[in-house]
Amino acid sequence: MSFKKAPLSNAGRWLLNRRSFLRHAGTGLGGIALTALLTEQGLLGKDSGPIRPQFNTQNPLAPRSPHFRPKAKNVLVIFCSGACSHVDTWDYKPELIKHHGQPMPGADKLITFQGENGNLIKSPWEFKPRGQSGKMISDMLPHLADLADELCFIHSMTAKSNTHGPAENQMSTGFTLDGFPSMGAWASYALGTENRELPAFVAIPDPRGVPQIGPNHWNAGFLPAVFQGTPFNADKPIPNLDTPKQITRAAELSTRDFLRFLNDKHLEQHPGDTELSARIASYELAAKMQLSAAEVNDFSKESEATRELYGVNDSNKTKAAFARNCLLARRLVERGVRFVQLFNGSYAMGEGVGNWDGHKKLKEQYDIHAPILDQPAAALIKDMKARGLLESTLVVWVTEFGRMPTFQKGADGRDHNPKGFTVWMTGAGVKRGFSYGATDEFGYQAVENVTTIYDLHATLLHLLGLDHERLSFYHNGIERRLTDVHGHAINAVLS
Amino acid sequence: MPESGSSISSKLRCALRLLAGVRAPFVSKCFCAAVLLAPLGLTGSEIDKGRLPAPAKGTVDFTKTIKPIFDEHCLGCHGADKQRGGFQIDLKSTALKGGENHAPAIIPGKSADSPLIHFVAGLVDDMVMPQKGERLTAEQIGLLRAWIDQGAQWPDDKPVEQHWSFKPLTLPDIPNARNHRWARNAVDSFILQQLEAKKISPAKEADRRTLIRRVTFDLTGLPPTPKEVEAFVVDQRADAYEKLVDRLLASPHYGERWGRHWLDVVRFAETTGFEVNTPRENAWPYRDYVIRAFNEDKPFDQFIIEQLAGDAFGVEEATGFIVGGPNDQVKSPDIVLTRQQRSDELHDMVATTGSAFLGLTVGCARCHNHKFDPISQVDYFAMTAVFSGVHHGERQLKAIDHPERMKSAQTLRQSVTRIEGQLTQFEPIADPTGTVPFRPAVHPRQNVDRFEPVEAKFVRFTISDTSGHEPCIDELEIYSEGDKPRNVALASVGARATASSVYPNSNRHKLKHINDGLYGNNQSWIPSEVGKGWVQIELTEKLLISKVVWGRDREEKFTDRLSTQYKIEVAMETNQWKTVAGSNDRHPYVPGQKSVPLDGLEGLSEKKRAQLRKLLAEREKLENRIVELTTYPMVYAGTFKMPEPTYRMQRGDPMQPKEEVGPGALTSFAPAIKIPVDTDEQERRIALARWIASPENPLTARTIVNRLWQHHFGEGIVNTPSDLGVNGAQPSHPELLDWLANQLMEHDWKLKPMHRLMLLSSTYRQSSASNEKAVSVDAGNRSLWRFTPRRLEAEPIRDSILTMSGKLDLKQGGPGYHVFEENDNYVRVYEPKKEFGAKEWRRMIYQFKPRMQQDATFGAFDCPDGGQIAPRRSSSITPLQALNLLNSDFMMQQAEFFAERLKQVEKDSKAQVRRAFVLAFNREPSKPELNASTKLVDQHGLTHFCRAILNANEFLYVF
Repeated sequence: MSFKKAPLSNAGRWLLNRRSFLRHAGTGLGGIALTALLTEQGLLGKDSGPIRPQFNTQNPLAPRSPHFRPKAKNVLVIFCSGACSHVDTWDYKPELIKHHGQPMPGADKLITFQGENGNLIKSPWEFKPRGQSGKMISDMLPHLADLADELCFIHSMTAKSNTHGPAENQMSTGFTLDGFPSMGAWASYALGTENRELPAFVAIPDPRGVPQIGPNHWNAGFLPAVFQGTPFNADKPIPNLDTPKQITRAAELSTRDFLRFLNDKHLEQHPGDTELSARIASYELAAKMQLSAAEVNDFSKESEATRELYGVNDSNKTKAAFARNCLLARRLVERGVRFVQLFNGSYAMGEGVGNWDGHKKLKEQYDIHAPILDQPAAALIKDMKARGLLESTLVVWVTEFGRMPTFQKGADGRDHNPKGFTVWMTGAGVKRGFSYGATDEFGYQAVENVTTIYDLHATLLHLLGLDHERLSFYHNGIERRLTDVHGHAINAVLS
Repeated sequence: MPESGSSISSKLRCALRLLAGVRAPFVSKCFCAAVLLAPLGLTGSEIDKGRLPAPAKGTVDFTKTIKPIFDEHCLGCHGADKQRGGFQIDLKSTALKGGENHAPAIIPGKSADSPLIHFVAGLVDDMVMPQKGERLTAEQIGLLRAWIDQGAQWPDDKPVEQHWSFKPLTLPDIPNARNHRWARNAVDSFILQQLEAKKISPAKEADRRTLIRRVTFDLTGLPPTPKEVEAFVVDQRADAYEKLVDRLLASPHYGERWGRHWLDVVRFAETTGFEVNTPRENAWPYRDYVIRAFNEDKPFDQFIIEQLAGDAFGVEEATGFIVGGPNDQVKSPDIVLTRQQRSDELHDMVATTGSAFLGLTVGCARCHNHKFDPISQVDYFAMTAVFSGVHHGERQLKAIDHPERMKSAQTLRQSVTRIEGQLTQFEPIADPTGTVPFRPAVHPRQNVDRFEPVEAKFVRFTISDTSGHEPCIDELEIYSEGDKPRNVALASVGARATASSVYPNSNRHKLKHINDGLYGNNQSWIPSEVGKGWVQIELTEKLLISKVVWGRDREEKFTDRLSTQYKIEVAMETNQWKTVAGSNDRHPYVPGQKSVPLDGLEGLSEKKRAQLRKLLAEREKLENRIVELTTYPMVYAGTFKMPEPTYRMQRGDPMQPKEEVGPGALTSFAPAIKIPVDTDEQERRIALARWIASPENPLTARTIVNRLWQHHFGEGIVNTPSDLGVNGAQPSHPELLDWLANQLMEHDWKLKPMHRLMLLSSTYRQSSASNEKAVSVDAGNRSLWRFTPRRLEAEPIRDSILTMSGKLDLKQGGPGYHVFEENDNYVRVYEPKKEFGAKEWRRMIYQFKPRMQQDATFGAFDCPDGGQIAPRRSSSITPLQALNLLNSDFMMQQAEFFAERLKQVEKDSKAQVRRAFVLAFNREPSKPELNASTKLVDQHGLTHFCRAILNANEFLYVF
């Protein structure tokens, strides 16, 4: 098993290594009792301490075993940047409809992100029962609504910040601050990847641009750069992937042979320095990646039906481009990429333009954003299901926080709301046609089974066979975790 | 905020600490406040003491009877690991103090009044203890009562066994190693001692080519030139290597290399981070300051003090350190968000100060007392209080000679005033009835109204509009007619002022200031009416007058409140007013004009014109000089305001303030420090800085010498360079570390002598040759039996490539160059440039560094992203690095330049290949290498060969 228990943390080592330890133990508890205590705590036998995945620098992405039998081998996260409103999509609130136009009780003094709020406003989209489960979902996203029986909703999500930057940080890295490793980086650090000819972690930015905190979503933070996500999409391939056009095939091959020759000669002078051979190997891998990455982005072998399903030829150019990204996501998962994060919505280029930040003109803007997301994302899930990929892939749809059930004072849109919002999952290891947790009668705040982003991350890691309390990396005094010191895997949503 | 994970559970840790009597040597201050809260309705009458079990009979021994009860039932929540409600019961010192809300919980001699007994007996509904697990039996409660009634005797806490780095520096003897001949200096003796103990022999000395390449990259981040290599190889002098090291230490590129290491430690970047990630255009002076400090060999204690309080020592840009981290620019009326953002900013300042200088994870004490180190939450907030007046932002970079400059400017201003006095003779005479503007527009500094001489006893100035708010006049002067005009409005000559109203409750804007002869906003009159008002001067007698001079602020700090519509009237009696001048014939007010306008050239004699021109020219010259003297460049080094009061925040939550905390440092570490709560902003930072930079502080010197060691030898003596605390790594050579720290102070905290010590050692000069025996004992080379080979970091890789191509521009300092396309979206978008030119061929340390975003070619080589500190970079090997170095536009361009350069100096391919090897690898090619190379060059051209060279391991690694 390549997943070894990490050596003790420095503090642990300190305590154990100290010769003076037992000398100072004044209460008469001897070595035997100590050993028993240590065993009980798993320091000598059973595991419970932090686990730093032991990766070989020569092959840092080689697949590693998880902590326990996983339900999912891969993860696909669909991230709607800008905060997609839960009360207009997944979270049906009859009381909100009933109290339409009335003040929200107790909200007169409420100051949210942009300030004061007006009255409760029902969703401009109608809710209807869907599928066997009869789940009430709005008409805003009809294709995704049709999949209600496949989805496992968490309606009681809460975020720590009501601002896009910190909140997107939290959703993708667990921390509101900059500089922490993204969840995809954690997953590739923990598990390596099955297909080394493609990056272990791919981030697919929206055709309109990168999401609001850009590379923080896929950065490795303080983890080694090898675990960083590689950003590319169907229309913008991996940077520097292709051999420059002015270089002929023959010249390229000769150059690489020559480079190999130089490096081999050099290695002879330095036997035993394995990093050198690892670097030689990385060039071979790069060559393979050039082929594999080109292949994964080549949709020529996809059937017409598949293309139609996703909408890759749609007359709405943004939708068609997002559809291609969805298709790319499936092809990446299919080829064993460990973690794929697919973005819908880009950085802000005007309020609510480019992403789901519907402060002032919710209906007008969501009428633009919804069709871009709906059919392609629904197609992705249907297609993955049809191909059996959902057996081993966890799909998680997220957004950084929710929106208010009220409209902002003097505006036709909703302000930020981190107190309650919805995410959903489907695929490996989660219940289908299931809803967990709830917000209050208007959808303002989570009241039942209140769930944190830590819980969501813990669940995600759990499905990958990882104990979120033990997967750690030492950085500056702390065994860092994706879930900081919080979180519980949500057992109720597990199948 | 983050807490630490650990491999040892709380239960075990408590048990271990109890066993060993190990406890951090501090008592949290936060319990003091709890004492004040003690009477909160808990010992009052609603508690039914009749329900208490009776105290046990007989003497109760703490260790035998009471401690086991605490251990079993209490420590899960109130032990060393967790202190629910701030209460900790595993130590006498903390237990007797009590918690946050109920303190003290144990009142010796009075068990029936002790909250602890009420809680365990279940007398207080929401405080039934223990909250988890089994309740105490009546018998146990009886024992507790008896113990308390008998005085709560408790053995004193065991003296604390201090963690190595918290102890004062030791003065280790230099060990006597057997292999005397190998050891060149004390460093070697320490190293050898351990090698001999492990029975490993050190490697032999590296050859000269290897050595010069190694040490040149190490100190400058640049490759040695072929000339330098050859000169060193043939240098027969005994001190050839010493001379080389000295030359490199004196190189201006030393600061660029080592400054970069420091910038990693302090999370420097030039954008705000978070969503908008806006550029900080003027952050670079801090980067230049750091480079300069290294080059000048600024004593490290001074370097610390300047970074925390450079504004007090004429090095303004140094405080760029404090605000070098990310800050969220997205503001909101939501108070929770506002406080969280401020709290995060302060946290970044405190945490970075702790990790950079002290090698301590002070930031871990934001939510609770530090789990491992003796840093209380109160200590954390005391440090926060030091920075509580520091805000993100730019301020003017004051010159070192600021006071002199201000003095000169003041003198020049007087000259300007004198000239303006002379200029008033050229002012056109006002036409009080005119409607066509011909007189200059009003100016905030000074305005002159000339009129035909008129006899007056009263003069009234009436305002009917302003450039905003209530009008303000700093001085109203009325001049007598004649050869020697004098200001007859002065109170000092007996004139009397009255006005429509006076601005309430202000000392600066009293009526008396209208004619006190003093200029400037601080001695000015403002009425209480918005946009209007009048002021009247009664002269001592009837006088012939011909000029009124007035201004808003003669010091030119303010431009608002300028009277833009006004009239001047005179009278002999206060009911017979006659208008003599006003704004009616002036041009409309133009905000932002530099000079008081004057364009009265028409109708003047040639002589007068020449005189006027001369005066105007003189005035302009003086004004330009004043601007020069008083305008400084802006620098992103923070702004300083009155410190906000600081409170300890429950669980670090900015919405849960507890007691107020004054400024301070870490109370468990030497030297003792006291910063009075009323200390002003700058003094707080100076006090903290002096405390950190004190020779008594056990951490500061150790932390920096360890950082130096890390970059020379690949790994620090403590390989967790920003955490020398309990959870950090153990030092591989503790005595050596202390010896070096002592040396640093003996050398007045100068770093260059320390580099010299390390670099001149035999340890450093070892070859990197591996040997099986040593590998079997110490594969990680912690004992330094050879030089650990390493890949160059991103910056030296890029700089070397530019050196090969001959394009490297070694210009130092100034604003950075950009590798991203220009963009002005309010959420900044960073799209890598595709084409590069000479502007981008400076060293990478001068590359404008956005947070999160990485250089498209070199970022993949483990560049820190500027979000968190990066005291130690990882060294990844990835296929994306290979793709970047093979295929990027930057690399292709440089490979072509490299080829061109070779073609310029050599004609045939063999010579070109030779030259390339010498440049890139500092050696001649072997025969097979030469053959393979020329074959490639002849077949496909020189560029392809160059592209391969720039990708070769030998090019990217140092041995």
